[in-house]
This record gives sequence, C-alpha cells and structure tokens, in this order.
Amino acid sequence: MGLFGRRVSAGRRGLALLHRAMRFCLPILSAFGLLSGPAQAENGSRPQDVTIGVLAYQGELAAALDWAPLTRFLNERIPGYRFDLEHFDADSLHEAIRQQRVDLVVTNPGYYVAMENEFGLSRIATLDSPQALSPDKGTGSALIVRSERSDLQTLGDLRGKRLAAMAPDAFGGYLLVVREMLAQGIDAESHLKEIHFLGVPMMRIVAAVQRGEADAGVVRSCFIEQAAARGVLRQEDFRVLGDRRSADPAVAAFPCGLSTALYPDWPIAVTRGIGHGLSKQVAQALLAMPADTGMAWTVPADYQSVHELYRELRTGPYAHLRDVTLAGLLRRFWPALLVLALVLTAWGVHTVRVEHLVQRRTAELRASLRAREDAEARVRSHQEQMEHLSRLSILGELSGSLAHEINQPLTTIGNYARSLLRRHADGRLSDAAVVEACAEIGSEAERAGGIMRRIRDFARKRSAVREPVDMPALVDSTRKLIEGMLLHAPAIICENELPPGCEVLADGPQIQQVLLNLVKNAIDAGRDLPPERQAVTIRLETADKRLLVHVIDQGCGLTAEQQSHLFEPFFTTKPDGLGLGLPICKTIVEAHGGRLWAESNVPSGMRFSFSLPCHVAAN
Amino acid sequence: MSLQTENAVVYVVDDDPALCRSLRFLLEAEDWPVRLFGSAEAFLDEIGSRAGPGQPCCLLLDIRMPAMSGLELQQVLRERGFEAPILFMTGHADVSMAVQAMKCGACDFIEKPFDDQAIIDAVAKAIERCASMLDEAQRRDGARAALAHLSPREQEVAHLVARGLPNKLIAAELGISEKTVHIHRQHVMEKAGISSAAELARLFLRADPEALD
Repeated sequence: MGLFGRRVSAGRRGLALLHRAMRFCLPILSAFGLLSGPAQAENGSRPQDVTIGVLAYQGELAAALDWAPLTRFLNERIPGYRFDLEHFDADSLHEAIRQQRVDLVVTNPGYYVAMENEFGLSRIATLDSPQALSPDKGTGSALIVRSERSDLQTLGDLRGKRLAAMAPDAFGGYLLVVREMLAQGIDAESHLKEIHFLGVPMMRIVAAVQRGEADAGVVRSCFIEQAAARGVLRQEDFRVLGDRRSADPAVAAFPCGLSTALYPDWPIAVTRGIGHGLSKQVAQALLAMPADTGMAWTVPADYQSVHELYRELRTGPYAHLRDVTLAGLLRRFWPALLVLALVLTAWGVHTVRVEHLVQRRTAELRASLRAREDAEARVRSHQEQMEHLSRLSILGELSGSLAHEINQPLTTIGNYARSLLRRHADGRLSDAAVVEACAEIGSEAERAGGIMRRIRDFARKRSAVREPVDMPALVDSTRKLIEGMLLHAPAIICENELPPGCEVLADGPQIQQVLLNLVKNAIDAGRDLPPERQAVTIRLETADKRLLVHVIDQGCGLTAEQQSHLFEPFFTTKPDGLGLGLPICKTIVEAHGGRLWAESNVPSGMRFSFSLPCHVAAN
Repeated sequence: MSLQTENAVVYVVDDDPALCRSLRFLLEAEDWPVRLFGSAEAFLDEIGSRAGPGQPCCLLLDIRMPAMSGLELQQVLRERGFEAPILFMTGHADVSMAVQAMKCGACDFIEKPFDDQAIIDAVAKAIERCASMLDEAQRRDGARAALAHLSPREQEVAHLVARGLPNKLIAAELGISEKTVHIHRQHVMEKAGISSAAELARLFLRADPEALD
C-alpha cells in the first residue's frame, strides 16, 4: 500500500475526523436503538452483548441509519443477545477485529477478502440488493463523466486525464475501475494525469466531476441512480463511461450504469470468537429477513472474483506480489528503468573516461614536473658552479694580499724556530727563550690557521638557503672581512638608514659575496687616487617594501659605453679581471627576487645598488 | 778592518708586532741590540732631527705598511741625509720595487719567510758597512778640521803643494815671492801635523775626494 500512501492521506484524515465526531453521538444512537427495540431478555438474565462492526463507507451517520434495520431485526429474532452496531473506518475496523472487540463484521467485499485471510473471518450471508443479478453479481462501479464530455467515450480515453476516486484501497470506489482500466491497457498509476482521492462521502466525487475538478469519477454502481431518485443530482448531467451492459449480455439486465464487471455484494461475516450456535442463528435470521425491512440477505456468495481482482492488482492480500515480481516491475517501470539504465551507462562511461583522463593528465603532469625539476637542478648546479668560480676568482684577485697574510705568521714562526736552533748550536739556549719562542710559534700558527679557515669558508660551495638575514650585521662583517684581507683597505663607511626589524630572506654568504664583489670593485676604482677619494660608502635604506644596498665609490667612474656592458660576462675594465664578478652578482641578486644596477655617482665615481624584498618578521 | 761594530743597533720597522718580536728574538741572539718600531712614523719620531746614526746601525724595513711604506721612509731618510744601510723585507719580491729600492741605496732585499743565515749575514754586512761609513766620515771630518785651521793664503798654498807644484811655480801662480811660499808651506806642515807634500795631498783627498781634480 505504500505506493498509495502519498495520495491517500487526505482521505484518511477526513475519515478519522468523522470517526471522532461520531464517537460523541453514538451512545445516543445506541440508546435509541435499545429503547426502540422490544428485545428484552425473556429469561430475565442479562442479555449477552453482540457487537456488529460495520464499515462506514459513507460516513458513520449514514451507516448507522442504513444498518439500523439489521440490529433491530436481529434483536427481535434472537433472544438472549443484545446486538449492537459499531462503526469503523477501514483501519479501525481492522484494528477492532484484531483486538476481538467485534463479533460480527459487515464490510465491503474487498476488505472482507483481505481480512478473511488475515483473521479467519467467515461469511454467513451476502447482502441481497434489489438490483443484484445473483449473489455473486451484486455490485460494480460506474465511471461517471459529465454528459457533455463527448471526448470521453471509452476507458481508453482516460489516458492523461484526471480521475476522482474515494481511496487507494476503496473497493467499489476505486479498485474495480483500476482493474478494468488495466484490462484496457491503462495503468492508473502511470497513465493518468492525476488521481484525487477524496474520501467519503461518495458525493464528493460526483461534485468534483460536476465542477470539472476531475474529468471522471469512480462511484459505486447505482449510486448516481439512487442519488437522482433522492433528488440530490440530475442524472442527465452525467454519463457512465464504457457501459458494460451494451457489450456484455450477462450484465445487460443490470438496472444501473456499469463500467466494470459485477462482484458479490457486501457480506456479513463472523469472527473466530463467536460460537457456532449463534452463527447459525444469525444466518438463519438474516436469510429470513423480510424484504419490507429494507434489507435482504442471501446465501453467502462466491468471493473468488474479488480474490482475482486483488491478485491481479497485487494489492490487499496480494500486495506482496507487487514487491516480488520482477516482470511486473519491468512492465510498470520500464521507461524509468530505461532512463536509469541510460543514466548508469552514461555515468559509467563518464567515470571510465574521467579516470582515463586523470591518469593521462597525471602522467603528463608528472613528466612536466620531472622536466622542470631537471631544469631547475641544471640551473642550480650551473649557478653553483658560477658562484664557486666567482669565489675562486675573487680569491685569485685577493691572492696577493692573502699571500702576505699567510706569510707574516710563517715568517715569524720561521724566525723563532731558526733562532732556537742557532742558540742551541751555540750552547746558549735558555729555558726562558724556549718558552717565549714556543708561545709565539703556537699563536702564530693559530693565526695562519684562522686565515686558512676564512679562505676555505669563503671558497666552499654551498647549496641555496633562505634565512632571515640581518643586513647591517652582514655589512659590518663584510667590512671586517675586507679589512682583514686587504692590507691597505681604504675607509669603508657604513650608513644604516633601515627602520628597526627590517630583514631579508636570503642566503647570507651569497649576499655577502655580492657585497664583497661590489666593495672590492669600489676599492679598485679608488686605487691610486688621493686618500679622501678612496673611501667607499655602503648605504642601507628601504624603498617601497624593498631593502636597497648602495655601494658608492668616488673613483673616476665609467663611460656610458662601459656601463652598458657592465653586466655582460667576461667584460672587464681590470687588467687581471675575469669579468665574471658582476654577472654572477646579478644572477645571485635576481635569484633572490631582487635587482642589481649601476649608475654614475655625483660628483664622481659609480653607485652600484641592489634591492632585495623585505621580509616581515613573523612576530 | 778593526771597526767598532760592538755597539751596533738594529732598527726593525714593521706593522706586524709578532714578526717584530721574532726578529728581535733572532737578532738579539747574535748580540745585536734590536729596537722595534710599529710604523715608519714612529721611527722618524725616534731619530728626530739627527742627521745620521751616532753609532753603527742597520734598518730592517717592511715594504708594505698601512700608512707610510718602507720605500717612502727610505725616501724621507735620504732627503734628510740620514745615512744608514737599509734592508728591505718583503713577502713577494717584485722586480720593479726592488730596482727602485736598490737605486735609492738599499743594501739588500730579503724575502719572507727568511732564511736565518741570510738575514744574519745581511745584517752583519750592513752593520759593517755602516761602521766603515762612520769611520770614513770621522776621518773626513778630521781632515776638514785640520784644513779649516789654515788661513786663506795658507789654504791656497797647501792646495797647490798637494797638487805637487814646486815652490817656484806656486810663487808665480800666486804672484808672491818664493820665500813667502816657503814660509806658508812650513806653517801648513806645522798646523796639520804632517811632514810631506804627499801627506798633505792625502789629507786633502780625505776631506774632499775631488779636491785635487
């Protein structure tokens, strides 16, 4: 029933509301029934209560009135029992039977069949309506449309139309028509545009059709005719769709418009709790019920046709069939399944394609990454070689000074050693002399070692690193290094105009090498000039988030022609220069994201400047 | 030659204090007093306005020094007439520098690191040379002093006698009598403490090697 859940809720809610309202009225009606009936216990003992549960398909009030003759008659005919009517909607009747709160059940054929299976109900008579052709041909459904709808002639014309019905599980109010439409190739669930389940009373369905809210409505057969007889509607306003009487001689005699086959009418059934004797008594009473009571009963009909209906529709007691039949599912849902299959196939193809693309792209990416890494490694090794070469070339240019630096301690050591030997040979060697000489020899050896270490550190190859560098400190150490290497180093003036905390991320020794190179050039530019023009200035400042380092000399400057070639490899103005210093400096500075340039200084000399991006300290 | 080299002094001028001390250690073992100076300027302050060393000495100069170099000091000393033998010390002997130094009267060029025997020999030679220079100067000064005591006429006569001219020609040259020449000649011999014309000629040459040209 889950498939109907969505549409049934409105009807169910209406039914429950009615039920609640009638709970309030029932005791009054029941009391009326008791007083009106003469059936008092003849033997004076308290009569046994027999509850008749009735399905109220038109609302409880109508049901109570309809079935009142039944209780009255039974109470008259069967002494010692007090028959009492209780009205239920489909769900509450089901629940009452389960809890054995009812003894007799009057319900429509559909619900009967369902509960026959479930609770072992057993029919004892079938309602014998005046229009019934036989006990098993007592009731059907009529599909009504407005008379002027000439476009609607057969059940097949309902395709894509709106249908009004009572409830998804209503027997005469829905299911009979569904079976009939199915026979015509129309699946009510999928082929109709929409189905409105309006609940009880059935008059709502008629009204919906009349107002045009639905193209067709499902009502119990003879409902229209009876309503017209009561004067609540005009029969000529409506037409019964696909009247079976003209096509089927077996039902031609049926007095009302009929769109479906005929089925047995409502049964009355006993529950398991009721004794055999009482069952027999009631059955006998019912069959003997005179026509003037307005209600007649006949022998229990064969409800096989109802079973077939449910089996075919796979609902009610056969609802489980709906869940398991793959073929049925396929037949019902093939368009959706086809779409689903297409979607799945498309998704599969897409997945495979994406996977393939991803693999291909990944491979390409990996290859290009590897290529780039190779290129970078090549550049890096090239750069390291160049740097190394440049260090060596600077060392070469400084070698004269370095030789002097090394020579001094060597000479000193030699002097002491020789003198010790001479004194020893002359027999004049004193302990004090040995101590003095050896102390001096030791410290001079250390001095020589220190110089060697400085050269080694400077010449060693290094891989690139980026660390916060304190430029003023770097400039200072560079100045000291130069003063240590050059014997006649001119004054090197450091002007620090940096704001506090200004750092650069750089390879300190590389930047020092650049500085060293520039300062060395500046010193060379001032050589052979008066001392006041030999001074070199290193100025630090910031501009536009960049740290600028200027190395300024007051030498003779360079011509525009020379300046234009300054940064070309192997261009040099020095007799012993390699012409590699500045190109390498430029490479180093650019590798740090900076720039190296040269301009003439005023009034004389050159100004070499390089910039480095400022590093904002993390704190 | 028995020259007075015992009180000779070695002056070392070098900006490397350790090297200075090692030279003192080396040379003092050879019985030469050694005096150390850290710069050329310090040495010039020490000698002040003296025209020359009062005793035999030798200068060991480092060529490369921060302010005034060894060669510059040599120049200044020459201009002042301070005559003392100079030994240059250098790390790497370069020819042009050596030629210039030797032209300016340097005694020798010693390359660092030193061979001990070489520097000791060089210092000894320089000191000897200095002593002989001093001796020479002493005798020249004596000769000049002796000649300085003569009157102008006596000097004229003495000069001509030293050149070997007889009295007769001298009298004719000076326009005086032969007898007067003789008297001047005797006075010259007495004043200078010599007895022959040859000795007089030697005295003249000692005072001025070119006096008789």
